[in-house]
Amino acid sequence: MAAIAFPDQFKRETHTINGLKTTVLSAGKGEPLVFFHGAGIWHGINFAVPWTQKFRVIIPLHPGLGEADDDPAMTEMHDYVMHYLDLFDALGLDKFHLVGFSLGGLMAANFAVEHGHRVLRLVLVGPAGLRGKERPKGDFFLLPPEKIPSLLVSNFDVIKQFLPEDPKDLEFMGDRYREGGTLARLLWEHPYDIKLPRYLHRLTMPTLLVWGEDDKLLSVQNADLWRQYIPKAQLQTFKGAGHLVLDEKREAVDAVQHFLS
Amino acid sequence: MSAVRFDFMHFMPYTHLPENHKGYHSLWVDFPNKYYDPKKGVELYKRYLAELILAEKVGFDAVVVNEHHNTAYSMMAAPNLIAAAIIPQIKTAKICVWGTPPNLEYPNRLAEEYAMLDVMSEGRLEVAFPLGTGMEYWANPISPANARARYRESIDIILQAWTQDGPTTYYGDFYTYRYLNPWPRPYQKPHPPCYIVGTGSPETVELAAKLGFGYSAVFVTKQRAQELNQQLRRSSAEHGHQVRPEQVPLQVITYVAETKEKAEEEAIPHIRFFFEDALRTTPTFLAPPGYLSVTELKKRAALADKLHGAFNFDNVNESFFVAVGTADQVVAQLEEWAGRVGTNHFNLLAAIGDMPHWKVVKNLSLIGQDVIPRIRANAAAERRVAAE
Repeated sequence: MAAIAFPDQFKRETHTINGLKTTVLSAGKGEPLVFFHGAGIWHGINFAVPWTQKFRVIIPLHPGLGEADDDPAMTEMHDYVMHYLDLFDALGLDKFHLVGFSLGGLMAANFAVEHGHRVLRLVLVGPAGLRGKERPKGDFFLLPPEKIPSLLVSNFDVIKQFLPEDPKDLEFMGDRYREGGTLARLLWEHPYDIKLPRYLHRLTMPTLLVWGEDDKLLSVQNADLWRQYIPKAQLQTFKGAGHLVLDEKREAVDAVQHFLS
Repeated sequence: MSAVRFDFMHFMPYTHLPENHKGYHSLWVDFPNKYYDPKKGVELYKRYLAELILAEKVGFDAVVVNEHHNTAYSMMAAPNLIAAAIIPQIKTAKICVWGTPPNLEYPNRLAEEYAMLDVMSEGRLEVAFPLGTGMEYWANPISPANARARYRESIDIILQAWTQDGPTTYYGDFYTYRYLNPWPRPYQKPHPPCYIVGTGSPETVELAAKLGFGYSAVFVTKQRAQELNQQLRRSSAEHGHQVRPEQVPLQVITYVAETKEKAEEEAIPHIRFFFEDALRTTPTFLAPPGYLSVTELKKRAALADKLHGAFNFDNVNESFFVAVGTADQVVAQLEEWAGRVGTNHFNLLAAIGDMPHWKVVKNLSLIGQDVIPRIRANAAAERRVAAE
């Protein structure tokens, strides 16, 4: 796995959870803010730097993604919830703000419906996983891998620096393929979480939905779907931003910070 | 060489492609099925079944069918149906279904269907357990990420169903059987001969060795086939199995004509169609996520440009098992390769790509008349010499 450069102020720690080596990045002081990243971490976490001014930002890398170990036995979202119960115990984290992006948004929603008393405030940024009427929106596997980067953003320059110069770079291709395998274990047979809507009413903590208005991967219409099940959730959308709304719009990063403060 | 065996393998392609088909990146998975005309399908099925039946008449020992989905490459989405259709018309030749990926079907049902075919043919069935190409996982509702685990469990269930008196139980990771008790049971004891067919993943070769099954590599280069053959022999020995010559069929694209020039002239356009069109697909369809190990993916990606570049017969001829020429040349070529691989079992791809019926008939007839008898005679002479 090619190493990903993270901002200097983030401390990198390794934790072995249930025999699985995972990496936790953390920086800043204040109330803990846990960020669940999406299906790819290759575009880095530069956007999270401003949050470290006010919060103790904790970004664990999900098993099977980035530099975290693979565990072929983790085949459903609940396995990730259980993984994070163990990891949060190891970190001594009790209550915290939880921000989840894309796949991490789905993971955060799953964690929060089960362990809501530990989540002070919840932010879901372009969360994946709900099945809408329009099809086939947000089925990651329908996208040709070479097109994924350009579908992630409104402005390609934002992620260009994280991509290899050669589009056929074997190392990059291999890393993404391995992550695709992790996603296939979780999502191939059931790309949507059909049970989650039944439990979303348990999200009684203050909840914010953030979406890029130009999201080509999971259109902003998906926000209505989430709000149907979490009517009290606030929604903020951002013009000129795609799926990676936090990477593209500093205003979105500030909006999250403002909501959590 | 011990008693030789000749199989005729058919792919049953749908050949009436639209003029604009080159504009499609793949003839698999997402190639629109509006281009399938069932009326033309009627004629093709009639013709292809007749070719399988002809193979026995001209001297082949077995016919081989296999399974693919969502593709013009093959009209055999359900090869057991083809097997059932030819059983009453093929008198003594073996019927090889090589085969249905066991993880894409309920294993008890596959055990039942194969047992039915074995009984219906009075013990002439042979089966293979492929994992299925990457393309099959885009067409079926089964995850490529745990395909191998499900595949392994499915084979376990089928073998249990065939070898243990039922009812038995099976409590697996994927399937639960409270009463595994399929009727009918196979005619052959303990069960029909089994093979693993694969495109060369080390894991599948290892599985064949462990189970004592035959192994057939499809669409791998000559060099790779040799490596796989050695791996199979090594691993089989470690598992206490001696690989028998008939367990390692040699798959050869074969075409015979009066002269070398004529053979090439008649066969090359169809070999070209086979590699350039019938096999045309995308790297993503070939390797859905989780289907290959990362190491294997990188290996194949590095090779991809060489294999899927512009068609060049000399390259194909050089890289793959291709025997195109006069009967003399084909006999010599097949014997040389068989000696090198240590097999007496030839699986001939003699209906190549979009080859018209007359060429298939000509090819099968010439193979039956001038190739099969001579290789048999040479092998028999060799056996006599060995016995003396």
